[in-house]
Amino acid sequence: MSAFATLASVYNTPVAMHGDVDITDSNTTTDSRALNQFLASVELKAFKIAQSALRHEHDALDAVQDAMLQLTRAYADRPAEEWRPLFYRILENRIRDMQRRRTVRARIMAWLPAHRDEDDEDGFDPISQAPSEEVTPTRRLELDEAMTALEEALHDLPNRQRQAFLLRNLEGMDVAQVAAAMGCSEGSVKTHHFRALKALRARLGEFSP
Amino acid sequence: MTSNDEELDDFEQRTRALLQESVSRIDGRLRSRLNQARHAALAELERPRRTSFWRSFGLAPAAGVVAALALAVVLWAPRPGQMSPVAEGGSSAVEDLDLVADGETFDLIQQGDGGFYEWAVAQADAGPEATS
Repeated sequence: MSAFATLASVYNTPVAMHGDVDITDSNTTTDSRALNQFLASVELKAFKIAQSALRHEHDALDAVQDAMLQLTRAYADRPAEEWRPLFYRILENRIRDMQRRRTVRARIMAWLPAHRDEDDEDGFDPISQAPSEEVTPTRRLELDEAMTALEEALHDLPNRQRQAFLLRNLEGMDVAQVAAAMGCSEGSVKTHHFRALKALRARLGEFSP
Repeated sequence: MTSNDEELDDFEQRTRALLQESVSRIDGRLRSRLNQARHAALAELERPRRTSFWRSFGLAPAAGVVAALALAVVLWAPRPGQMSPVAEGGSSAVEDLDLVADGETFDLIQQGDGGFYEWAVAQADAGPEATS
């Protein structure tokens, strides 16, 4: 929509009773459907990315939910092709906030040795919670071990490397999209991705999932 | 492409397959939670966004400044036919505000120590010989 059209729509907005302006329009349903499809397409991968960084199921769910809410509240009226990089940028900020909060909390808890962190009781339950029925137990065990090893290796990567690697290899974004999501240059994305691959390869070796 | 790149590509393909497998194995409970989160987010979109009349014209900051100025005028301006509180009692309006805001002082007055103040005023009216 052009700037003129935007202004025109603002000035033509009907004034409702009680001093409020109702800005609901008929496009809401269409936007909602498109946004629903988009969020449904990213929610599982987003959860895996958040879980890989936070290693905590509830925190990962919270991070994804917050990212969904913020995208809906602030950017729903942006072009649909912008949603993916915006969503992952919001998600990464949320993950970083949670990591910082966790660091501060750990520092505080260090002064309270008698305190027991209740959140830790939930523990980290890797993806092996619900194995597929199509694989044999032996194969399932191999996959579980490989996934656990990969998740641990991913978790130990620096944030930017992990982000670049997962957006490329799990979300399937190209370098330009990852650069937009990470707020850096394409060259930086390539560097982060290359270093992530190198570190993972050095750690996991020739594993065979 | 070098052989090293080919190895990296092979490694990348295997990690990618493993990651996709891990996504496909997310259990129904988590899928349901994510589904609920998505619908909660979309409910925000369905809700009519109602904007304050003042905000719609960008007047909220101006209204705040006007309100603050009006309050300042009420507090500091002397009433007609009355001396300024500062000139009269040597205390400023800010101190008056502190007095009002001081809950402890207010409680003291409410607790019935009015007798002491009445006695002190009577002593002052009687002059210095009454206190000696």
